[in-house]
Amino acid sequence: MTGRTIKVPILTRVEGEGSLQIKFRGERVEDVKLTIFEPPRMFEAFLRGRHAFEAPDITARICGICPIAYQMSAVHAIEKALGVKIDPAVRQLRRLFYCGEWIESHALHIYMLHAPDFLGYADAIEMARDHGEKVAQALRLKKIGNTLMTVLGGREIHPISVCVGGFYKVPTRSDLRELVDDLKWARDASIETVRLVAGFPFPEFEQDYEFVALSHKDEYPLNKGRLISNKGLDIEASEYEDHFFEQHVKHSNALQSQLRKRGSYMVGPMARFNLNYDKLPESARQAAAEVGLKVPVLNPFRSIIVRAVELVFACEEALRIIGEYEPPEAPRAKVRMRAGTGQAITEAPRGILYHRYQIDGEGKILAAKIVPPTSQNQKRIEDDLWQFVPQLSALPQEEITLRCEQAVRNYDPCISCATHFLRLEMTRE
Amino acid sequence: MVRVLVIGCGNPDRGDDAAGILVVRRLRERGVAARQHSSDGLALIDAWSEAEYVIMIDTVITGAPAGTINGCMGADAVLLRSAGTSSHSFDVASAIELARALDRMPGSLKIYGIEGCAFEPGTQPQPVVLAAAERVASLVLAEVQRLEAAEPRG
Repeated sequence: MTGRTIKVPILTRVEGEGSLQIKFRGERVEDVKLTIFEPPRMFEAFLRGRHAFEAPDITARICGICPIAYQMSAVHAIEKALGVKIDPAVRQLRRLFYCGEWIESHALHIYMLHAPDFLGYADAIEMARDHGEKVAQALRLKKIGNTLMTVLGGREIHPISVCVGGFYKVPTRSDLRELVDDLKWARDASIETVRLVAGFPFPEFEQDYEFVALSHKDEYPLNKGRLISNKGLDIEASEYEDHFFEQHVKHSNALQSQLRKRGSYMVGPMARFNLNYDKLPESARQAAAEVGLKVPVLNPFRSIIVRAVELVFACEEALRIIGEYEPPEAPRAKVRMRAGTGQAITEAPRGILYHRYQIDGEGKILAAKIVPPTSQNQKRIEDDLWQFVPQLSALPQEEITLRCEQAVRNYDPCISCATHFLRLEMTRE
Repeated sequence: MVRVLVIGCGNPDRGDDAAGILVVRRLRERGVAARQHSSDGLALIDAWSEAEYVIMIDTVITGAPAGTINGCMGADAVLLRSAGTSSHSFDVASAIELARALDRMPGSLKIYGIEGCAFEPGTQPQPVVLAAAERVASLVLAEVQRLEAAEPRG
């Protein structure tokens, strides 16, 4: 029996510190482990004893890419605990804020992190030498998302405007109108992006996924709705922990989330698209139809197209909200402290983000629970690799490594939320 | 388009990584509109397009003693690029390489690297790094004054 080991010391273009081990016995895959060795960050522990009003700013520090997701899940959960009703205009502004994060995050992942896999480049810098125009387009798209975040949040990284009950400060109509021309350009560029990425070569690989996403009767999901799946789940955020559990596995510092009695599931663009296609704006549906992207999308490598369709959505939704915007009478609702527990789920760019807070009568946080999207997809990534790797076994080791990295990147894992680099180790016995 | 743009990079709450930010603060006290950069390196490419001359200050790790000052032009900075661990974020050297690939380098890019070795969250920079930041602030101030006074290029 011959044995060989492949070690890739650094896998770039995945956020977080972790490694991937794949063990072969002959041609058979014997073990797949996505190991996250980034030390636990203890956010849930150090939220305890802090004031509930601090939660949006503290949790925003979990991630530099999706701080708004953390702020949104935090404020919604605390507002639920305190029984705060927010102004509809504030809710629309929060959707707009979220659109900015989706635009910058999706543009970054599609072009700078995932496209090089499909086009055969080591990274975006190498890709830029041959496809400078496309990379420049990506930078402009990302900047537009960042600008939207800055206008609403005061700054693009770890915004400072969000508070329980609303915003500390809301934009004027003219602040937002200034963004319209750029957003129209971004929408058109996003439609071009759908066409571009739909032309990439995709491996033949489909799975019978359980897709989990928010669903709202008349909105593509961002920050409101019931949690549903294609296999019968239909719950409120408050029921989340009755249906999902987190498991500590020996090889990972990040907890793996699973559905009780059903195992792994997928959150993120493919889940949202497959469960909410009819809520997409016409331009996004047309862009999908034009490239033959139909529900259900079951090939995770095609998630890059779905992400581009969501980019169209985010631009279109931002334009709609800006077009209809009337500033709220007050930037934030009055908040009265009371003891309680609140849960919320919102849609971060890479999938659902669950927060729960238990608060005492003075507003002190007694307990906090945060389940980031990458923890939710972590088991699913391993399951994909279990199924995907056998069809690669005849390929050279270097090619196997690249395909595995690409498969991990299908999920745009943000492992600082759950890792910093990913080391791939493959052994054959 | 401004004549000279000074950008200091770093995290003010991570020990020696604050060096670039300290230089910015010192320059502002002396009337230079220096800019603080603590986010994604990709955003630098846009910032650079606003100026003819760009001067960047950042903490570097080259193995030299803490507080050592390295000055280099942008063309050499690729040598300092991290080992490719950046994922959702691009470091300064990656931004330079990308700007070069896109033909978006500023007319002149000079980088001052201040050697650091201690990056614990919540800590202050070491005294040698503080002293180096002070020296770099003086060097940059002199350079800004010289460039502002010089005849426009071309």
